[in-house]
Amino acid sequence: MTLTVPATGTADSISIRGAVKIYGSGTSRHVALQNVDVDIKRGQFVSIIGPSGCGKSTLLRLIAGLEHADSGTAEVFGVTPERACAAKMIGLVPQAPALLPWKDVLGNVSMPAKVNRRADKLRRRIHGHLERPAPDMLDLLNKAGLTDAVHKLPAQLSGGMQQRAAIVRAFGVQPDVLLMDEPFSALDEFTRESIQEQLLDIWDENKTTVVFVTHSVSEAVRLSDKVLVMSARPGRITASVDITLPRPRSQMMLKSAEFHHFEDVIRDHLQTAWRENPITGATPVPAGAPA
Amino acid sequence: MSVITPEPTTVQHTPVTEPAPTPATRRGLPKRLSFIRPAYWLPLAVLLVGLGILWSITARDSPYLLPPLAAIGEALAANPGFYLSNAWATLAVALVGLAIGFVGSFILAVLVSELPVARRAIMPIAVVLSVTPLVAIAPALVVAFGFGPEPKLIVTALICFFPILINVSTGLRSVSPAVLQVFTTLHASRLEMLWHVRMPSALPYLFTALRVVFPLSIIGAVVAELSAPGAAAGLGTVISVASSNNRLAVVYAAIFCLAIMGSLLLLIITAIEDRVLHWHESRVSATR
Repeated sequence: MTLTVPATGTADSISIRGAVKIYGSGTSRHVALQNVDVDIKRGQFVSIIGPSGCGKSTLLRLIAGLEHADSGTAEVFGVTPERACAAKMIGLVPQAPALLPWKDVLGNVSMPAKVNRRADKLRRRIHGHLERPAPDMLDLLNKAGLTDAVHKLPAQLSGGMQQRAAIVRAFGVQPDVLLMDEPFSALDEFTRESIQEQLLDIWDENKTTVVFVTHSVSEAVRLSDKVLVMSARPGRITASVDITLPRPRSQMMLKSAEFHHFEDVIRDHLQTAWRENPITGATPVPAGAPA
Repeated sequence: MSVITPEPTTVQHTPVTEPAPTPATRRGLPKRLSFIRPAYWLPLAVLLVGLGILWSITARDSPYLLPPLAAIGEALAANPGFYLSNAWATLAVALVGLAIGFVGSFILAVLVSELPVARRAIMPIAVVLSVTPLVAIAPALVVAFGFGPEPKLIVTALICFFPILINVSTGLRSVSPAVLQVFTTLHASRLEMLWHVRMPSALPYLFTALRVVFPLSIIGAVVAELSAPGAAAGLGTVISVASSNNRLAVVYAAIFCLAIMGSLLLLIITAIEDRVLHWHESRVSATR
């Protein structure tokens, strides 16, 4: 097998160029993505925020190789998404924890190592890929607060603990990029905030690139280096906001003026995007508030 | 935590680990022994005694309708070896036929779930065959294969085939899209997906089928034996010979054996299911 040399993009970024994705045809035609360009540098934590149906999940699935653009290109650190998957460079955390109910927590987080064993060999051949030692799963589980749950079945865990296990599973493959699709949207606020904190802790150590889809403004501000604001019909990126808050970001910072400033900036962008919307723009609904 | 909540009691407030649900203590006896309680067995006992009285009255007034219960007991006690060996013959046919049907239908279920072409070709035929009464096919098979074990095994295998095929092929495709996406991004091969994800997902469906099919295998064996009387042995043969000789007590003794066998098989498969599917949501929540 020969390694396909990328035409655009570099080994140090995820880049999407002119991505177009259209579902259906005729009256049910729905432009999920219209000429979307994205650049995510290695090590960045980037959130994508926008109203339902703005194509943010489609964008994520594009990077994950689960979906193909009708036109345009997607590259993950210099290779196609498919090749990135083959080399286990991508860790996916879906909205539902998606754990295997017959495996205990340790069994679940160890599962990725049992499939596609050729990935390591392939990884070494991909230019710019960072070699990392295989992580100690028990250590990772400890850090995620799952010490007591190691030998429990998913059905014995709360939703928050299940989602933590799913995050550990994704981190466990030492991915070059972690793709998270509204992973905390089903959790109550307390659980959500504590998991955010743990995610940041683990992320601080690994500095994995993260692409995080959310519809919570404060979640996006708290976690990200950069927030991409999307708008629907057609799905497009309307703004890119750099969050320059210092890290680590504590609970206290959530109440600071700077934090609220960034929240307001993003809410404004969301609202503008909504007003400019050619279809729903006529109805003056307060759209900034996340669902 | 510094965040204020309007209703703090309803929210789990542990920042690091939310407590896993602890096993609830049950009132009085543990669940395993709950059948000791009169409330549990009394309704059944009362009904059984009532039916026994009704049976005895009928047997006394018209002995050609039902044999006296005592006569059935005597028939069993007079020659237990006879019933045991015939029961064993029927059981052997049932289990071997079941095994053949199981292997065949499982392989076909995998094929059908992996290849849409195979599914479109095979499933309509399977559905039509599954609603065809096998009692009607049995005599034809006896004509074709004679009085040996072949027609019996074929009938039993066929009767077990379709519940397993339909359930397992559904189960193999019951994996949630999110799980499939996770394993797709890991680039798991189809075989890995089948072994690590699809087959375990299909287990609950398989056991649903097995709970139907284990007792059904005995029905298959008896139907075949009834269609081929005079063949070696089996409770079906015992029934058809005894009923042509008007020996009603023997017929019911054989039926009694069949009922016991069927119940035992059901018990065994349920016990296996409990062990294998200990992880299943229904069981996990039951032990909470």
